[in-house]
Amino acid sequence: MTVIAGPGEAVVPRTAAGTTRATLRRNFWRGVWRVMRRKPSRMAGVAIIALFAVMGAFGPLLYPAHLPRDNGALYAPPSWAHPLGTDFEGTDVLALVITGARYVLLTGLATAVITVALGTAIGLFSGFRRGRWDTLLMRITDMNLAIPGLPLLLVLSTVWKFTSPLEMGLVLGLLGWGGVARAVRSQTLSLRERGFIEAARGLGLPTTHIIGRELLPGMAPYIAMNMLIAVTGAVYAQVGLFFLGVLPFDANNWGVMLNFAVFNGGALTTPAALPYLLAPLIAILLLTLGIVLLIDAMDEIFNPRLREE
Amino acid sequence: MTLAIRSRPPGGAVARRRRLPGGAVTRRVAGHLVRGLVMIWVVATISFVIIREIPGDPVAGQYESLIQKGMSPEQAERAAAVLYGFLPTGSLWEQYVGYMGSLLHLDLGQSLSTPGVPVTTLIGAAARWTVLPVLAGTLLSFLLGVVMGVYAAIKRSGKLGDALALSGSLLHGVPVYVIGLLLTAIFATLWPIMPSGGPVEIEAVPGLNAGYVGSLVHHAVLPVVTYTLASYGGWILAMKSNVVAVLGDDFILAAELRGLRRGVVFRYLARNAILPLFTVLALSIGMLFGGSIFIEEIFNYPGLGLLLVNSISTRDYALMGGTFLVITVGIVVANIAADLLYTAIDPRVRSGGSA
Repeated sequence: MTVIAGPGEAVVPRTAAGTTRATLRRNFWRGVWRVMRRKPSRMAGVAIIALFAVMGAFGPLLYPAHLPRDNGALYAPPSWAHPLGTDFEGTDVLALVITGARYVLLTGLATAVITVALGTAIGLFSGFRRGRWDTLLMRITDMNLAIPGLPLLLVLSTVWKFTSPLEMGLVLGLLGWGGVARAVRSQTLSLRERGFIEAARGLGLPTTHIIGRELLPGMAPYIAMNMLIAVTGAVYAQVGLFFLGVLPFDANNWGVMLNFAVFNGGALTTPAALPYLLAPLIAILLLTLGIVLLIDAMDEIFNPRLREE
Repeated sequence: MTLAIRSRPPGGAVARRRRLPGGAVTRRVAGHLVRGLVMIWVVATISFVIIREIPGDPVAGQYESLIQKGMSPEQAERAAAVLYGFLPTGSLWEQYVGYMGSLLHLDLGQSLSTPGVPVTTLIGAAARWTVLPVLAGTLLSFLLGVVMGVYAAIKRSGKLGDALALSGSLLHGVPVYVIGLLLTAIFATLWPIMPSGGPVEIEAVPGLNAGYVGSLVHHAVLPVVTYTLASYGGWILAMKSNVVAVLGDDFILAAELRGLRRGVVFRYLARNAILPLFTVLALSIGMLFGGSIFIEEIFNYPGLGLLLVNSISTRDYALMGGTFLVITVGIVVANIAADLLYTAIDPRVRSGGSA
C-alpha cells in the first residue's frame, strides 16, 4: 500500500507508527556502530569508560573492607605481588586505586546529575519564558559563572565538611550549573523560533508537551555531552581538594593518595614514593582520555554534518 | 519656527547616535563596572558570612579570650576589630556595615598566624608570585595555541591535524595538578634537572645579581610550563574552530581567487579568528587564578593560592577572607578588562551597542 501524504494527513499511517519508530532506533544504533568502527580510538574510549564503570561498581567488592598491610614492604617497588608497588604502610597501590574509584566516580555522577538537571531546568525556563524572569535568572547565572569555583570550595570547606560523596556532589553541582544553563538557554532561544515549535504552539499543545516532546529531544545529545564534562570536572575538583589536604580524610580515594605521596612520602624529591604518586595520576589521565574519545564519537553521532562519508 | 524646533531634535538625536557610537560604549562600560561591583559585593558578603558563621565563631572567641587575658571590653573590641576588620559586638547588621566600611578603606584586618602583620601586606607580597607566572604562562600558551590552532584547522583532515586536535582535547581535559605533578615527577624526581620547589635557591643573595636572577628563572620554568600546558588546550581548540568557521567565509575564497599570497590570506584568517578569543582570555585568566592554587601548592610557590590554602590550614580566617576576596576581585577585573578590550577592537560590538 502506498501512502500519499495530503495536507492535514499524517505522513506515517498510525498503525505503522510503532514499527517506524523501531526502524529509526535500529538505524540510529547502526549509525552509532558505524561511527565507532571508523576510528579504533573510539572503541578504546568506550572500553576505558566501561573499565572505570566496572571499577566503581564492583571494585570495592574485590577486596576486603580493610586492605591488608605489609609492614615488611613499605614503599615497595612494583613487583608481581604488588603490580604498582605499595604505599607508606605496605598496602597494595593497585588495590587502592581500584577501591578508591567508587568514591571519586560517585561524586562525579552526583555532580553531573545536579548540574545538568539544574542547568537544563533554568536554561529552558529562562529561554522559554524570556522577559523579567529571564533577566533575573541570567544575572544569577553570570554570577555563578564568574565566582571562582575552587577558591570558594576551599573557603567553604572550613564551614562544611563534605563527608559523603553525595554531599560533595551536591555542593559541586550547585556551583557548576551556570555553563549548562547558558548553553541550554541559547539553544532554546534558537529552537523556539523554528517552525515546528511555532506549529506546536499554534495547535495549542500544552507547554509541558512542547518542552518535553519537542524541545528536549533536540537538546539531548548536547545535554549528554555536558553531563560527561560535568563528571570529569567533578572528579578533578574533588581529587584536587583532597590533594590540597583541606578535607578530612575519611575514605580512601585518589586525591588522598596524591596528598600522602607528595606531602608525606616526598614523592617530588625521592623516587621511593613515585609509584604511589603516579598510579592515581595515570588513572586520571586514562579517565580523561576515555572521556575525550567518547565525546569525539558522540560529536559525530549526534552531529551528522561532521560525518566524513 | 516652532515647527522647526519640534521636528529637529528627534531627527538630530538619531543622526548623532548613528555617527557617534560613544553613547553605546559608555553604557557598555558602565554596565560592566556595575556588574563587577555587584560581583565584588556578593563575594565580600559571602566571605563575611563565612567568617561570621564558622562553627565556634572565631571572632567572638577571640573577643572572649582577649577579655580573659585581662583586657577591658573596649580594648578587646578594638583588638578584635583590628584582627578581623569588623567589631565583634553589636547586631549582625552593624558588624556587616563595619566590615564593608573597612573594606572600603582597603582594610582587611590583621593576620592571626603572623601576628601584627596586616592582611593587605601579606597579600601584596604574595600577589607578585602569582601574577608574573600567570601572565607569562597565559601569553606563552596563547601564542602557542593560536599558531597551532591555525595549523590544526588547515590540516584538519590529515594525521597532523588529528594529532594536534587530540593533544588539545587531552591537555584541555586534564586537570592542572596532574600536569604539574607529572612534570615534577619527571624533571625533579626521576631526572633531577629542575628544582622541586620554592621560588628561588635559599643560598642566593636577593638583588640584581646573576645568581639570584638565574635561580629565579630556573625555579620559574616548571610552574610557567605547567600554566602554559594547562591553558594551551583551550586556545588551540578555540582557535581551530574559529579558523574553520572563517575558512568558509566568502572573503577568504575571494582573497584566494584574487591570487593573494599565502601570508596575506593567513593574516586575514588569523585576524578574524582571533577576535572571539579575547572573551576566552577573560575566562582563561579566571581559570588560571583558580589553577594557580594547585601550581603554587605543588611547586611551593608563595603566591596567593598557597596563601589561601595555608590560611585555611592554620584557620587564619581574616587572611582567608581577604585572600579569597582579592583573588575574586582579580578575576572580576580581568573579565571586565577583557570585555572592554573586546569592545575596543571589534567594530561590530562598538557600533552595535547591543550589550
